[in-house]
Amino acid sequence: MHEISLVQNLLQQLRDIARENNASRVLRVTMLIGPLSGVVVDSFTFGFDILAREDDLFRDATLDIVVPSAIFRCSSCGHQEETDGERPECCAACGDRIIIAHGGDDLILQQVEME
Amino acid sequence: MCDVCGCHSHGHDHGHDHGHGHGHDHQHDQPAGNEALIVDINRSLFAANDAMARSNREHFDADGVITVNLISSPGSGKTTLLEHTIDRLGSEIAIGVIEGDIETERDAQRIRAKGVPAIQLTTGGACHLDASMIHRAYHQLQKEAGGDRLDLVVIENVGNLVCPATFDLGEHQRIVLVSVPEGPDKPAKYPKAFTSSQVFLITKTDLLPYFDFPVEEATREALVLNPALKVMAFSSTTGEGFDAWLEHLRHLVNRRRTQSERV
Repeated sequence: MHEISLVQNLLQQLRDIARENNASRVLRVTMLIGPLSGVVVDSFTFGFDILAREDDLFRDATLDIVVPSAIFRCSSCGHQEETDGERPECCAACGDRIIIAHGGDDLILQQVEME
Repeated sequence: MCDVCGCHSHGHDHGHDHGHGHGHDHQHDQPAGNEALIVDINRSLFAANDAMARSNREHFDADGVITVNLISSPGSGKTTLLEHTIDRLGSEIAIGVIEGDIETERDAQRIRAKGVPAIQLTTGGACHLDASMIHRAYHQLQKEAGGDRLDLVVIENVGNLVCPATFDLGEHQRIVLVSVPEGPDKPAKYPKAFTSSQVFLITKTDLLPYFDFPVEEATREALVLNPALKVMAFSSTTGEGFDAWLEHLRHLVNRRRTQSERV
């Protein structure tokens, strides 16, 4: 459950952002969580629900999560496949098994809506 | 500024450098009232840890120290590997150890018993080490070494194949271990530990006669994920295959020594 410490990190950033913008309430937070980031979306959401309720600043905040596709590229022929994170067993074009993931490991605070 | 030693680390800038390129979709000067304010941030939650990891790496490089980060499930033989490594290399390489565990000083005590400086980090429930913990521990380790120069710092991460894979500590090499009793399917089940590592150690090979662990299959599975992985299989306790591991560490340290001399 490293998601909890990542949520704590997020909330600290949100406090800073709210202060810089003279906001008293965070309404909506948009996170991008790559399928290969090693972060489980349900655990992250669970952590946010628990920890955000402890602070008036985020009590009513909605957490939106965007999950992009992962791109796997065949190391022999360069064929690319987009999946929801699952690694293809082998390349659909040439059958080679050495397939390298490109991206999909981001964990990004994209946008904050506050008042 | 580092709060332990006053050194100029770069990891404490979180919260202060995300102002660049904000897109403010609102009348910026008057945030009062109930007007909703939408701010684009586009900043990684790993940014603070990654910055601290870079700072750690700069520290290690400046000190001429090679640092490796051992990642595995609990009980795959990390501490035993270290004990035997110290027995065999302790006289030629100055080793220091940072031990990560959820509770207890036991592992650090095992290492100190070998006459090597060791710092125990107890995370109190957290499932991984992060770069700022390593920053503090490295300074403590230098103190414990009493000013003696270290060649090699080994970080033994919390026993866990999932969470530690996500956190860069500033190490030069990440080393993932799987012991024979755990089975050969760990690479397929925990890919990030293998895609983010440079070395894969298969440990406890003295138990191969008793477990169904095809070394070639495990190796193949790991290389499919990460063709650049260096794979070694050995038993720390019988010493079979252990020389390749020792040679790997010697090579890392000697390369660093040569680089330092050149500088």
